[in-house]
Amino acid sequence: MGSIRNAARVIGTVVIASLIAVGCGGDDDGGGGGSTPDADKVEVSDEAPEGEISVCMGKDTSGVHGPLLEKFNQENEGAEAALVELPESADEQRTQLVQRLRAKSEECDVLALDVIWTAEFAAQGWLADATDIVEEREGEFIASTLDTVRYDDKSWAVPFNSNAGFLFYRTDQVDEVPATWQETYDAAAEASGLVYQGSRYEGLTVHFLELLYARGGDVINEDGTEATADSEETRDVLQFMVDGIKDGAVPRATLTMKEEEARRAFENGSATFMRNWPYAYSLGQEAPRIRGKFEVAAFPSFGDDDAASILGGYNLAVSAFSDNPGGAAALINYLTAEDAQITYAEAATPSVLTDVYDDDAVKKSLPFAKTLLESIEQGRSRPVSPVYPQISDAISTNVYAALSGDATVDEAVTSMQADIDKALATF
Amino acid sequence: MSTITPSSTAAGPGPGDRPPPPRRRGRRAPSYGRSERRLAALLLSPSLVLIGLVAAYPIGYAIWLSLNEYSVRVPGLSRFAGLDNYEAAFAGGFWDALRNTLVFTVASVSLELIIGLAMAIAMHHAFRGRGLLRATVLVPWATITAVTAITWRSIFEPGVGFAPQLLAKVGIAEDVVWLGERGYAMSVLILADVWKTAPFMALLLLAGLQVIPEDVYEAARVDGATPWQRFTRITLPLLMPAILVALIFRTLDALRVFDLPAVLTDGSNGTNVLSLLAYQELTQNRLLGLGAALSVLTFAVVMIVSFLYIRFVGGNIRTLAKD
Repeated sequence: MGSIRNAARVIGTVVIASLIAVGCGGDDDGGGGGSTPDADKVEVSDEAPEGEISVCMGKDTSGVHGPLLEKFNQENEGAEAALVELPESADEQRTQLVQRLRAKSEECDVLALDVIWTAEFAAQGWLADATDIVEEREGEFIASTLDTVRYDDKSWAVPFNSNAGFLFYRTDQVDEVPATWQETYDAAAEASGLVYQGSRYEGLTVHFLELLYARGGDVINEDGTEATADSEETRDVLQFMVDGIKDGAVPRATLTMKEEEARRAFENGSATFMRNWPYAYSLGQEAPRIRGKFEVAAFPSFGDDDAASILGGYNLAVSAFSDNPGGAAALINYLTAEDAQITYAEAATPSVLTDVYDDDAVKKSLPFAKTLLESIEQGRSRPVSPVYPQISDAISTNVYAALSGDATVDEAVTSMQADIDKALATF
Repeated sequence: MSTITPSSTAAGPGPGDRPPPPRRRGRRAPSYGRSERRLAALLLSPSLVLIGLVAAYPIGYAIWLSLNEYSVRVPGLSRFAGLDNYEAAFAGGFWDALRNTLVFTVASVSLELIIGLAMAIAMHHAFRGRGLLRATVLVPWATITAVTAITWRSIFEPGVGFAPQLLAKVGIAEDVVWLGERGYAMSVLILADVWKTAPFMALLLLAGLQVIPEDVYEAARVDGATPWQRFTRITLPLLMPAILVALIFRTLDALRVFDLPAVLTDGSNGTNVLSLLAYQELTQNRLLGLGAALSVLTFAVVMIVSFLYIRFVGGNIRTLAKD
């Protein structure tokens, strides 16, 4: 009994404390659109960068970051750029960055941000305004990549590397690249099927949006205040995907696939088509069963509509808590300049600069360079919103429910609309 | 579970509250008792402070978080939300996750008990290679859970894993994508957990078996008891305290399961459990309030179950121990 009395005492204290705090709590104006706190503008000076500059980014799997930073340090005496390696998975990187930034940590000067984090981080006041840096060099970048750094009419980061999906197809099983997704599904049904990232996660959101954007639909309106998911376009696309699984164009196993599972299925020879990122190309050329028997293409169009891809990749931002913003900006300019970008491209990291794709060395290391440029150019960014994680969750959960047969297309679309509206109304 | 045991101790009557037995008071000077009690309180205070810091404070803080909303749009903005987060949790995935958690707990713990008991009895009997068997049986338990999960995911991966192919050959569940369908996904989850923790159960039960004196069995044999009778009339009753301890351990563990579903299915296809749901809201969606509310609810569920165990089963242990 004593324990219950004590527990009651604790709860009582908490309730009283919380009642006191009500008076202090702020009120939300409920605005769903973009609004960002006043952020310091980062300007690039002509003076040589100096001091410590730490770059927080995911694990250096390509092995290029380290040497490039060393080169930067050699060229700029007095500058000490160093890499702070975060985990390999994007979700883990985000968790780690959020923890640091919530604590206003000065540890990171330059932040490597997945393209979908820009709005969220900018809204929280964690990024310095990078509009000036971007405006100065606007013409160098592939236009679509600049959309991923925009939020609330300002640029918050500089495009660093990009990515867009490919349609992989078996040259020994299909005669020509299908012109539409419909033809792809038809050809897949006759051969061994199409696999994509069909697990309930970000990858499914991406693939669904690729089809939806091609069909001309969208999930939120332009200023990000309302859900627009309950539309004819969404129903068409979702019905198309559901039918694909029913008709056997897409094997049901796709529902458990992320990038790696899809790649293994394709390399096993158990799929004719695959939607995947460019990294699967060079790995596929080492897989004995499909080596030399497949090619990649930019995505086909959806029926008579357009073709679209979704941009992946990373942007570089200056942390709002950096004590060396000038140095950070200089380093960002260095890493996104043509020389460094060619080095990255040679290590199979797709560049954000148009010119890099014409470089002979790059063409050699990325045999699909032309297709990739095309795919990135037709790329769109995912919904720009500080509540993107919830929007993505609403998309993947409901699309998955329809694909797995837990919900009808109609139920899934209605529920997606409601979930996105709920996400947009988040405090 | 570690958060519960200390907190229930902390919330329990402190040494200062307990009235000394009346007879003592009559015989001894009250001042002596008081100073003794003060000393006891003094000696206990460091651990009480420690428990307060590592258990009571975080729990109180989580409850506080769950009563507030923290803006994902405006930095540093928060407001008191009362029970809104709990309402949102109940309207959202809570009931579904609770059902999944309970199904998982009941199924995995009962299977582990049966298999663990069989394993313990096998390990208890003297035969050649017993040492080797004991060592090998523990391998799954020694494997890191995330690794276990990845292994089972590969085993059931369509077209790659051997399990679906083997099962299809004998005509079971042909064309089933195990991790991609409700029911099937949960069964893989349970299977993986049983594979991993049945050895732990076996180990706890083996310890219980070893304290049963051999002469009891001998007496039963002399009286002409069959092996089955010896098992049901001697082994099981005498093993009961060990079984109950093992059950409590495993049940509380299973209620908080996180790593297996996180890696195996990431909560899709009817495998979203309570801690996974709380994690998703807290870290992925950054909804501190809702995530905290879900954690508090998970805490309450574990608390209720452990309370029931201690209330009804804990009493049993004491009576059994007396017997």
